[in-house]
Amino acid sequence: MKHSISIFWRNRESHYRIKITKCNVCGKLAYFGRDRCPHCGSRDVTVIESEGKGTLVNFTVSYYRREGDEEHLPRIIGLVKLDEGITVPGEIVDIDPSEVKEGIRVEAVLRRYSSDDPYGLIYYGLKFIPILKK
Amino acid sequence: MLEGFKILSRPEARVGVLGWGAYIPRQRLRASEIAGLWGFEPSIIKALWIEEKAVAAADEDAVTMGWYAAKSAITRAGVDPQEIGAVFVGTESKPYAVKPSATIIADALNVSSKKLSTDMEFACRAGSEGLRIATALVASGTIKYGLAIGSDTAQANPGDVLELTASSGAAAYVVGPAEEAAARFEGMVTYITDTPDFWRRDCSHYPLHGEGFTGDPAYFHHIMTSVKMLMEELGLRPEDFDYAVFHQPNGKFPLRVGKKLGFPKEKILPGIVTPWIGNTYNASALLGLAKVLDSAKPGQRILVAPFGSGAGSDAMSIIVTDRIIERQEKAPKVEELIARKKYISYAQYARSRHIIRRIV
Amino acid sequence: MSKAFISAVCMTKIGRHFKLGIKNLIHEVTACMEEKIGSRPDYLIVASTFSALQTHQLDVASIATQYLGWSNIPSIRVETGETSGIAALELAQYIVRSGAASKVLVIGVEKMTEYPSNKVNADYAKILDYDTEYVRNITPPSYAALVMKEYMRKYGATRDDIAEWPVKMHANAVNNPYAQLRFPVSKEAVSNAMVISEPITLLDAFPIGDGAAAVLVTNESARSKDALEIVATAAATAPPLYLREDITELPATKAAWASLKRKLDACKLSEVALQVHDSYSIYGILALEAVGISEKGKACQVIPNLEYLNVGGGLKARGHPVGATGLYQVAETYELMLEGFAGKQYGGEYALIHSMSGSDYNARLALLRRW
Repeated sequence: MKHSISIFWRNRESHYRIKITKCNVCGKLAYFGRDRCPHCGSRDVTVIESEGKGTLVNFTVSYYRREGDEEHLPRIIGLVKLDEGITVPGEIVDIDPSEVKEGIRVEAVLRRYSSDDPYGLIYYGLKFIPILKK
Repeated sequence: MLEGFKILSRPEARVGVLGWGAYIPRQRLRASEIAGLWGFEPSIIKALWIEEKAVAAADEDAVTMGWYAAKSAITRAGVDPQEIGAVFVGTESKPYAVKPSATIIADALNVSSKKLSTDMEFACRAGSEGLRIATALVASGTIKYGLAIGSDTAQANPGDVLELTASSGAAAYVVGPAEEAAARFEGMVTYITDTPDFWRRDCSHYPLHGEGFTGDPAYFHHIMTSVKMLMEELGLRPEDFDYAVFHQPNGKFPLRVGKKLGFPKEKILPGIVTPWIGNTYNASALLGLAKVLDSAKPGQRILVAPFGSGAGSDAMSIIVTDRIIERQEKAPKVEELIARKKYISYAQYARSRHIIRRIV
Repeated sequence: MSKAFISAVCMTKIGRHFKLGIKNLIHEVTACMEEKIGSRPDYLIVASTFSALQTHQLDVASIATQYLGWSNIPSIRVETGETSGIAALELAQYIVRSGAASKVLVIGVEKMTEYPSNKVNADYAKILDYDTEYVRNITPPSYAALVMKEYMRKYGATRDDIAEWPVKMHANAVNNPYAQLRFPVSKEAVSNAMVISEPITLLDAFPIGDGAAAVLVTNESARSKDALEIVATAAATAPPLYLREDITELPATKAAWASLKRKLDACKLSEVALQVHDSYSIYGILALEAVGISEKGKACQVIPNLEYLNVGGGLKARGHPVGATGLYQVAETYELMLEGFAGKQYGGEYALIHSMSGSDYNARLALLRRW
């Protein structure tokens, strides 16, 4: 069993929906639901949810091969600036490497992150596609 | 009161579709390429009326597609997912044989944990069964809103004629009180017998089917029976309907069964999607319905008759309300999803659908 | 504060050593060290990033001590991602300064070839955050590629400008007998090499190889005749890439450098013997800018002029047996400053070693001075 059950399960809300931690002390935002602000270390934080829409600000087409990557390469990894104002890293899918460019509007969709084949768990989480409804 | 609308004391009449959603993957494989690879005589694709089919990407499955369709349905419905009391996923391509897809989709959409939920199997009509059950739960007052999803990455034995059409897609419906509905149910009838026209044994990668047997004794008999039962119970005739949407394993069958039932081609064509996306199994009729709802006008009456092998058919009469207009543009339409496409090769299809034998 | 010195160094050739396991590499580098120093150290520190993941060995320091037959000597394994070697040096220095020991042997050792590359690549990616990055398929080279792209866009640097880096690294390694890759490369070869994560090509990236390097850290009384003083070390951690305003900055490197800068007497930074962490070309370039060797966006132009930069070929050509790398940087510098190394001799007073992990998730610097 390569995929842990609990490691993913306890964070599933942050994988299934884009959770943003807002610090009530320094005011900054950070990707992923957290107990503390990664900018200032404060424990006084509120976790909010993004609508999942944003703009692609940077990307790379990656051929880097890890176990289990075979069906998914090349992967497009990018930085998405969400409409809420913060940048998140993520995979960009449903677009050809030759078509990706900075500035395209994207939306977060649920996809398989990886699967511990043939008998283990499937990890599901959000990736980004070019927005379907303008 | 809309003209021609008959109020009956049927439980489902208290219920309607609040929101609908669709998802079709981007990849397309041309039927001609499949036919060419396996030595089918090329004119088969015309005979079946299948041009190309949608193929889910390697990181997609019935859960991910069902999620997108359900998200759109919830958006259109405008309901708080915390008020959804049931989530049903009808599928014959569960990522886990044991472990519900429905709970993943539900948590991913922030649906209340206090709910009924399960995956259901009845070949291609489990999504429709889920729709009927969700409707009954609303009608009985057990739940306020229900979510029914039909989603499949359909399997077909490589080289079998079914491979020309077996495809991937999802449709979802949020049902709730008729007073909030974009389209209300007038009546529903289901007709089921033990008819083994198409099946997949446990642990088998691909289904087997009876070819000709899947026609008259299965598809045609069950759809025609359920539709006739419905029309008789509701006192309706084909002329009373504006649309007739059928389960569509290929482009020809819905036209043929519709003709046998007395529906003209013009009422059937708007609900046909298979020639361009293939047979999405549990999403088949439900995507046809979604496409019709995308542009239907208030007061129009829609017949939808899903079919599932094994075998059974549901026949439902749905009447569109004023509320549909403002909801149509709120999520991607079926036609927009059909238009979103990228052609792939058979090899890419085989990789995407994990059908190449390899060590993982 | 009492002083700490580097009194002896040893290196092994970096390569795919299928016949040599972790113990064999430790034995080889320790045998070399024993020839040089004769006596046993009081303390052993082992830097190894992947020993647990690749060789299934926890507490590799104790296992190494048992193997060496030094059973009573205390030992610690250090792991801080790619900076483990310098972290081990940092720790050894504190042990010696505190008086707890007079001779601390620091061994950096890594086996990267026990499994095919797709497993090594998977383990290497674990230097990123498992929850927010790894499971979401973000990997170190894709981050480096985003950084390189942003740098090229922001400063107008071209693919060829950045290729200055691997060209120089490979030229340096030709004369380094311990280097993994000892052949020159051209700019054209760099651009045309296989893409890892565009625009990063194979010739921008470190090779996978095994190796061990050892450094003896001593106090003043145990100092050898040929010694370098460890003037100071500095370390810092930085936020993940996606939380940074400008991804072409190396915040941990800058923070560590800020505390070390004051210790460097007024001398030209470009004349200091320099070792920077070039896991990918762009990182070497950014490191030069982070320590102020050049202005932002201009490092590519100064690379050819830096005679004492990564004299052994850097991570790119000398190699990067990850946990050992920092100690190779130190060992090469020690030899460069004393007898000469890789065809070069440095007569200057200071040397600066820079190590970093991933996209500067942590950075560690060591300032050395001729004694």
